[in-house]
Amino acid sequence: MSNVNLRITASRSILPATSEPQVLYALVELTAQSSAAKMPRLPLNLCLVIDRSSSMRGERLQQVKQAAMQILDLLGDNESFALVTFNDRAEVVVPAQLARARAEIKRQIGAIDAAGGTEMATGLALGLQELQRAMMPRAVHRLLLLTDGRTYGDESRCVEIARRAQSRGIGITALGIGSEWNEDLLETIAARENSRTHYITSAAEITKIFTAEVERMHSIFAQDVQARLALQPQSLVRSLDRVRPFIGPLPVIEESDFVWTAALGDWPEQDVQALLLEIVVPPLPQGRHTIMRLSIRYRTPGSDSVIQSQEQTLSVVLRDPDEVGDDVDPTVKHWLERLVAYRLQASAWQAAEEGKLEEATRRLQMAGTRLFEAGQVELARAVQEEATRLLRSGQASAEGRKRIKYGTRGLIGREEQS
Amino acid sequence: MIICSHCQAQQLEGTIFCTVCGASLLSARSQRQTTASLNRAAEVAQQIEDEVTILPAPTHEVAGPALALVVISSGRRIELPVAPELIIGRKDQQRNFFPDVDFSLDGGYDAGVSRRHARIICENGSYAIEDLGSSNGTFLNRQRVPPSQPMPLRHGDEVQFGMLLVRFELKL
Repeated sequence: MSNVNLRITASRSILPATSEPQVLYALVELTAQSSAAKMPRLPLNLCLVIDRSSSMRGERLQQVKQAAMQILDLLGDNESFALVTFNDRAEVVVPAQLARARAEIKRQIGAIDAAGGTEMATGLALGLQELQRAMMPRAVHRLLLLTDGRTYGDESRCVEIARRAQSRGIGITALGIGSEWNEDLLETIAARENSRTHYITSAAEITKIFTAEVERMHSIFAQDVQARLALQPQSLVRSLDRVRPFIGPLPVIEESDFVWTAALGDWPEQDVQALLLEIVVPPLPQGRHTIMRLSIRYRTPGSDSVIQSQEQTLSVVLRDPDEVGDDVDPTVKHWLERLVAYRLQASAWQAAEEGKLEEATRRLQMAGTRLFEAGQVELARAVQEEATRLLRSGQASAEGRKRIKYGTRGLIGREEQS
Repeated sequence: MIICSHCQAQQLEGTIFCTVCGASLLSARSQRQTTASLNRAAEVAQQIEDEVTILPAPTHEVAGPALALVVISSGRRIELPVAPELIIGRKDQQRNFFPDVDFSLDGGYDAGVSRRHARIICENGSYAIEDLGSSNGTFLNRQRVPPSQPMPLRHGDEVQFGMLLVRFELKL
């Protein structure tokens, strides 16, 4: 059974036959065919790791507790739930258990209060331990981390624990709320194909984002998704990035001559996945050419070790340069423009850190131009504002930085219309 | 090989955005057809309407809404395409910025029109004007349009970008 639709759109379908190599961009869209037959679903093994430092007091913690209780109601009787809190120390509030004694679990959640500082690493370590205690061999394992503050001195331990979890098939969702948390740390923690990070701009969104994430985990129908790209001799894959559901680079490796592979992680059915490829095409004679064979391989929950696969080719026509216009596909250009904006802002922060303020400002301004052109007007304005602030005061605002970092990736709730 | 006009970096043929500075490498012609075609359309309109200084909107037989901005001082009539969003301002070749409506030939610089001054938004057949944080402001029928707060636009409305007075025309 084939559950996946693959579509490849090139930036240009007709290329000039020149004596020089040229760049071709390709947008790969993967959609799950709407399930006429309901796809089998894996049980969830979930652990919430919640920051309960004193800054969480009030509406934030209230919302978190409510969200945790709502998540509990979303889980089936054979799914596992655990909850760990951390401030200056970490504590298992709800030990890993099947989501059955719901009233008792809710009472335990209700008793959480806020106090103290933020020490994340121990919280993560305890969370990982709870997930491993659940002993569910075939499940979606997820650690959901929420923080509103900076952890000091144990950042590298946090990353180490995250990598350990991820290498054991435990995905992490790292959520930041407010303007005080360390976005570099959360981004690093979630920089694996089976993890993600998100910026929650107000407490009112907590429940919505928590439950949406659990629903995504529930709809995972393919695991260990791998992409394999076989190209013409002398071609190159210059880069591979995810652009939907959010923007971020994907490590791509040349496994053998002119064959590249990349791991795409788990795939929730409700997400449209889109990848953007930059291919360097060698000089080719006029005529039709197959530029790339793409295959996607994945495991489905119902069919244990059986590997499904799907293939698609990308062909273009090369013609006399005089007959070739310079039109580019608008959809490919749109996603490329947003990807370029994301890359520009990332290099701007790096330049700022190195004290190259003018360079940083220039890059932010160009990111703003790209976002305007891509129709992301709100975000473009925020970028221009930070560019001005950076040039005048030598520093960007904590909130503006987060808004731009997460906004350009499409990782702030509301701005996901495209 | 192409050379980025913004940062002079060498780029491979077919590159859309410079990998060094992020500027668009598409030629101005293909990148913003609207600007060129607008100016061309305006030139044609100007030839026809040269003697008519104050302008009755010409009757269009074409189907669909006809949208235009008329520069009051010169009578230049700028036909607008129907689009969800039209950016109004002044082009800046060095920064590779080309608005949909370019007032640089209308004394836009002296009149205080910002490069990215305002935009016209079309939603479900109704139009609105929004100031994009311009330096000298946007005025609708002499009322200041607060930045980032779109105000509804109707046929015959007077819109002022900085000091440049324009009339909005809409024929359904």
